[in-house]
Amino acid sequence: MSADFRVIGQPRPQLDGPAKVTGKAEYTHDLTLPNLLHGAILRSPYPHARIKSVDLSKARAMPGVVVAISGEDFPDKKYVNAGPVYADRFAMARDRVRFVGEEVAAVAAETLGQAQAALAAINVEYETLAAVFDVEAALAPGAPVIHQKPDLPPNITQQSVADFGGVEAAFEDAEHIFDATFEHGIVAPVCLETNGVLASFDAAAGSLNIWAPTQAPFFVRKEVAHVMELSLEEVQVRSVVIGGGFGGKSQSPEPIAIAAMLSMQAGRPVKILLNRQEEFLSGKSDHAKKMRVRSAVAVDGSILGRHTEFWVDNGAYTHMGPAYISAVRQRTCNLYRVGAAGFDGKLVHTNKISGGSYRGMGSPQIIWAIETQIDEIAEKLGKDKLAYRIEIANQPGDQTPMGWNIGTCALAECLAEAGRRIGWAGKKDAMPANRGIGFAAMINPSVGMLYAEGNFACVSIDLMADGRLRVGTQSADCGTSQNTVMGQFVAEELGLSGEQIDVLHMDTEETPPDLGSAASRVTFVSGNAAIKTAKVFRAKLAARLAKRWDVSPSEIKFDNGIASYKDDNVRRLTLAEVATQEGPFRVEDRYDIDMPRPDPKTGYGDYAATYGFGAQAVEVEVDPATGHVTVLKVVVVQDIGRVINPLALDGQMHGGIVQGIGMALREELTFENGAPVNASLITYKVPRIQDTPEIETAYIETNDPAGPYGAKAGGEHSINPTPAAIANAVAQAAFTRFRKLPITSADVLNALEEKKPLALKPWKRPYNLEVAAARTLYPSVLFPGLRKLGGAVGRKPKPKSTYEYVCPDDLQEALQELAKPERTAKVMGGGTDLQVGIRQGIYELDAVVDISSLDELRGITIDESQITIGAATTIAEIVERDDLRAIHPMLTDGLAKIATAQIRNVATIAGDLSQEKRCWFFRSGVQCYKAGGMSCPCYAVLGDNRHHSILGAGRCSAPCVADAAPILTALDAVVVVVGAGGRRRVPLREFYVWFGETVVRPGEIIQAIEVPRDRMRSTQAFEKSAGWDGDFADASVAVHMSWDGAALSSVRISLGAVSPLPVRAVATETALLKNALTAETIRVAAGKTVHGALPLADNKHKSHLLVNLTERAIKRCLLD
Amino acid sequence: MTGLQVDVNGKMRETNCDPATPLVTVLREELNLRGTKIGCGNGECGACTVLMDGRAVCSCLVPVGRAAGRRIVTIESLGEPDDLHPIQKKLVERGAFQCGFCTPGVVMSLLALLRHNPQPTDADIRNALQGNLCRCTGYVKLLESIGEIVREGLHER
Repeated sequence: MSADFRVIGQPRPQLDGPAKVTGKAEYTHDLTLPNLLHGAILRSPYPHARIKSVDLSKARAMPGVVVAISGEDFPDKKYVNAGPVYADRFAMARDRVRFVGEEVAAVAAETLGQAQAALAAINVEYETLAAVFDVEAALAPGAPVIHQKPDLPPNITQQSVADFGGVEAAFEDAEHIFDATFEHGIVAPVCLETNGVLASFDAAAGSLNIWAPTQAPFFVRKEVAHVMELSLEEVQVRSVVIGGGFGGKSQSPEPIAIAAMLSMQAGRPVKILLNRQEEFLSGKSDHAKKMRVRSAVAVDGSILGRHTEFWVDNGAYTHMGPAYISAVRQRTCNLYRVGAAGFDGKLVHTNKISGGSYRGMGSPQIIWAIETQIDEIAEKLGKDKLAYRIEIANQPGDQTPMGWNIGTCALAECLAEAGRRIGWAGKKDAMPANRGIGFAAMINPSVGMLYAEGNFACVSIDLMADGRLRVGTQSADCGTSQNTVMGQFVAEELGLSGEQIDVLHMDTEETPPDLGSAASRVTFVSGNAAIKTAKVFRAKLAARLAKRWDVSPSEIKFDNGIASYKDDNVRRLTLAEVATQEGPFRVEDRYDIDMPRPDPKTGYGDYAATYGFGAQAVEVEVDPATGHVTVLKVVVVQDIGRVINPLALDGQMHGGIVQGIGMALREELTFENGAPVNASLITYKVPRIQDTPEIETAYIETNDPAGPYGAKAGGEHSINPTPAAIANAVAQAAFTRFRKLPITSADVLNALEEKKPLALKPWKRPYNLEVAAARTLYPSVLFPGLRKLGGAVGRKPKPKSTYEYVCPDDLQEALQELAKPERTAKVMGGGTDLQVGIRQGIYELDAVVDISSLDELRGITIDESQITIGAATTIAEIVERDDLRAIHPMLTDGLAKIATAQIRNVATIAGDLSQEKRCWFFRSGVQCYKAGGMSCPCYAVLGDNRHHSILGAGRCSAPCVADAAPILTALDAVVVVVGAGGRRRVPLREFYVWFGETVVRPGEIIQAIEVPRDRMRSTQAFEKSAGWDGDFADASVAVHMSWDGAALSSVRISLGAVSPLPVRAVATETALLKNALTAETIRVAAGKTVHGALPLADNKHKSHLLVNLTERAIKRCLLD
Repeated sequence: MTGLQVDVNGKMRETNCDPATPLVTVLREELNLRGTKIGCGNGECGACTVLMDGRAVCSCLVPVGRAAGRRIVTIESLGEPDDLHPIQKKLVERGAFQCGFCTPGVVMSLLALLRHNPQPTDADIRNALQGNLCRCTGYVKLLESIGEIVREGLHER
C-alpha cells in the first residue's frame, strides 16, 4: 500500500534532529533578550487559606528588584479554560489560595538570585482554612467549600449522568453481574523540560511577545489577552523548540501571564523558568479518580450492559476536568460491544494541584478497570481471555450505545495478532511459574470535538525567496515529529522529496490559527489542512505560470520540484526560479471537521470522524521474593488507518507504552497535607532505561477514508491499553487482582505473602512498647499537639541557593578551614547529597570545604591484613577495582548498585556513609522532629510511611539507606577519623548516632575506611531491593560467612534500609551457626531478622523483603 | 577576585562566577554553551551530563571551583548541525530521541561509556545510561541505535 506513495510511509527522521543532537536547538530555557529580568514566583505553603494581606514593599526595596506583583495587579478576569461556566481561576490568587503551590506573588529582578531573595521578603498574611485532599472528604457533609456551583452540591463542578439503552434493565436480565471498584492516584507528565516563559511587553508598540513551551499557542494567546485585558492582536506567541508536552503544557500555563504582567510593569523582558519541584507542585498532572464498574453479562458472555460510576479528583481549579469526564465516559460506553451503557461521573474539587490533560486523559485507567473486569468475566465463564475479547470486539458498522458509528475497525484482528505475537497459544496452558500474560484493547476517537471553537486547523505555505517552501502551522510539535509529518503531507501532495520544505510551528503572527496539539488531533486535522493547502498552492502556482506562459492552468505540470508547461523543455522552472520571477507568495487554507456535535450533557452522538483501535499483549515476570514486576515484552497492534511515518509512529508507541509501565507499576504523587512529598525525579519513579522491555509494534492499515491519506490518530493512544495489559499479566503471575494503580512491588509482595504471615515478635525490643503507645496517641494528641508546638518554637528549614566554596590544598588546611569558629562548614566529597541538602534547607551551612582531590584522603591500598580506602575515593573507583573484587566481591558489586554512573563518578565512600536521611517528609521542608527539633512530630507515623523503618524507629523513623553501611558493617570495617586532636578509629557499628548523624565531631574529617581481609575462606553476598535500579534501597542485606573447611565458622549479617542504623541480625547469625544448614533452617533463621520489628501502616512489605532477601543472600553464600 | 580557569572542550575559559556556582550555570549563562540542559538541578535526571576528566558527571552538582583544573567536555565538542559526528547522525536517523531535551546528556554519557569500553554489552549500556531520564522515547530506539553504533565502531571516527 505504501509503495503507492513517495513520502508517505517513509521513516523520515525529524526535521529538528541535527539541531537537537548537537545541543543547538533553542528551547525557552535557552532564550535571552537584551535587558532581561529574571522572575520568580511566591507560592502558597497552605492547601487552603484566606489571603488577608500581601505586603510587597520590602521585596520592592531589595537589591536588583525592579517590580513585584500580586493578584491585585491583574484585571478582574479568570482564565476561561474549559469554558465560561467553569472559569474559576484568576491569573494569580486573590483573596484565597486553594492548593499548596498556588501563585500568590511574583518578582522580577536583575538576577535570579535577587528575585529569589526578594520572595523571602514578601509578607503574606494567611488565615488557614480546613482543607480536603480526597473526593470522599470533599463530598462529606460539612466539608470546606472550595468552589460552589449554583446547581450542584458543594465541591462538585460537574456531574454527567446518562443511560443509553436502559442499562438497569440489562442488569435485571443478566445471568452474571460483576461489580468492582478501582482507584488510582495522580500521575505527573514529567517532561524533561519544565514549564517556563520569556515574555516581552513593548509598551511603545503595544505588543506582547511570548516564547513558551506550549502545546496550544492559539489558547495561550486567547487566555493571556483575556486575563490581561489586552486585545488579541496585541499578544503574539512565538516559535520555540519544546522539550516534551504529553498534555502537561496544554491550555495556558500560569507562569506565562505572570511573566507578561511583570514585563508590562517593568517595561523589560522577563524570563521565568520553573524548577523541577515547582513543576511537580504547580504543573498540570493527571487527575486521580475512583471508578465503580458494573457489567451485566448473559449466559453466552455478551455484555448486556455496563454501568460506571466515577469520581474524578479535579484538584483546586478546573482546567481540563470536563474534557477528562468526556474521555472517561466515552470508554465506558464504547469499548467492546456492549448492549446498553450508563454512567454517573462527578468532577470533584480537592485542595490539590489541578488536573490537566496528561496522555490518555484518564483513558488508560478506566480501560484498566474495564479490562480487569473483562478478564474476570472470561474467567467466570471459563472462556479463554483472548478469545473472549475477540468475541466481544467492536466491528465495522457497529453503532455503540453512545451513538458512535464505527466505520473502519480492525480490533478483532489487532487482538488476534497481539495474541499470536506474544505466543499466547503455546503459553496459555504452560505458563512458567511467576509469569503472566495480559491483554487489553483500546478505542480512540481520531480527534475529538474538544473545543467550543469547533475543530479546525489552518495551514500556510510560503514560497520563500530562495525557492524553499515554508509550511506554517500554529500547532506545536513537542517532540512528536508532527512538524515532520506535516512536511511529508505537503511533499506528497506536491510531488516533492521533502528536502526543500521547512516547517514553522507555533508563531501566532506568522502562521494561521490551529487549536494545538491535544486530543490526538494534529495528524488528522492539521494533516488534512496541510493537504488542502498544498492543493491550493499547486493551483496558485499553476495559475501564476499559466498567466506567465499564456496557457491554461490545467496544462501546468508540477513534479519533483519542477513546474513546467506540460513536458516543455523551455517553459520550465525550479521553485527557486519561480520565486525569483514571480516573487515569494503565500497560500493558506483551512480544514474543518464538519459533523454534528455530541449532546453536551451526555456526550451522545458521533464524536469523531473516525475511530482508532488497538490491542496490546504484555508478558511479565514477578520476583516472588521482592514483588518486583519485570515487563518482559509488550506487543502493540494498532489499527492506524495508514502509517505516515513509521519511525515517528514507532517512537510514539514506545514512548506511550513505557509511560504506561510507569503508570501501572510505579508512578504516583504522594501528598502530606496537600503538598507532594515526592516532588523529585528519584522519588517520583519514572521508568529508566533498565526498565525498557522488548516492544514489538505492528500496524494494520485500514485506510480510513476520512483521514489524510487514510491515517487515523497515532501518538497519544499507545498508553491507553498498557496499564490494563500489565495489570492483567500481573494478576496471572501473582494470582491476585489489584484494585488500585500503581501496583507497586510492595503491593505484589504483600499479596504473595498474605497467606504466610511472619512472626514479628515486636516485644523482643522493650522500647517498642513506648513506641507503640506513642503511635496510638499520635492521631488524637501527639501529632496535632507537636505540630502546633513545633510551628511556634521549632526550627524552620532555610533553603539556601549558595554557600562559600573553599578548596584547601591539603588535609592540614582542610582541618583548619573546618575549625574556623566564625562559620559552620562541612566537607564536600561528591557533593551529591550536600548540595541538594543545602538547597532543601536540611543543611544549614556557611561554607563547604572541598576535599575531593586531597591525596591524603584518596586511593586504595591493599596489604596482607586489610584494605585501606581513602575517604574521598569515589564509588566508581572502588567498583572498578578487580583486585578488590577478588578479595571482597560484596564491596565492589554492592556499591555498584548505588545510584547512577554520574553519581558514582563523584560520590565518595565516606559521603555515602555520612549522607543525610532520605525520608521524604524530612526532605520536603516539613517541620519534622529531625528538621525542626524536639518540639516537632514525626510525620511518618501518620503519613505515607512505605519507605520507613520497621525496626528500631523511635521519635524518628527514617531508615539508613546508605548501601555502604550494611556492606561495611558485615565486613567489620573501621572508620578512621582525623582531627586537630589526632586520629581515632571507629568501628562501623559505633559510627552512627542515627542515620544522618555520625560520631564525627565538628572539626574532624573521615580519613579512610579500613576493611579487614579474610583470614579464612569466605563467601559473601549483598542483596538489595529498590524502586528502580540504583534507587535507595527498600531493604538490603549483607552477609559475610567464614568457613573452616566445610564448616561455618562465623557469620555476620547486616541489614540496611529497614532501621535507622545498620543492624546486625544477631539472632539469625546465631541460628545459622547452631544448626545444620538446610533450606528449612535457613528459612527459619532468616525469619529471625524481623524479630523485634514494629512496622508502620504502609511498610509491612519490608518485613517480607527482609526475610526473603536474607534467605537469598545466605543461599548465594552457600553456592561456592 | 581573579577568575577561575576551566578547560572546556580543550580551550581554557575564564569565569568570574562565584566558585560555588554550578558548572552548568557557568556553561550556559557565562560561556554561552547552552547545549547542556537543566532538567532538575539536583543530579537526578542526567540532562546536564558533561565529561569531567573523561567521566560522566552531572554538571548541576559540580561547583565551578571544582571544575577548575579539570578537563570539561560538553556536547558542543562533537558535531554541528551541518557536520554531525557519525554517532549523532546515527541517533538522528534511527529516531533515538524525540523532544531532544535529554539528548545532549545522553550523548555525553554514551561517549563516556564508549571511550572507556568500546564493546559494551546490553547490560553495560543500560548501566551507563540509567542516570539519563528520557520521557519521550521509552529508550527503545536509543538502545537499538547504540547497538548499531557499537557494531559499526562509530565512536572511533
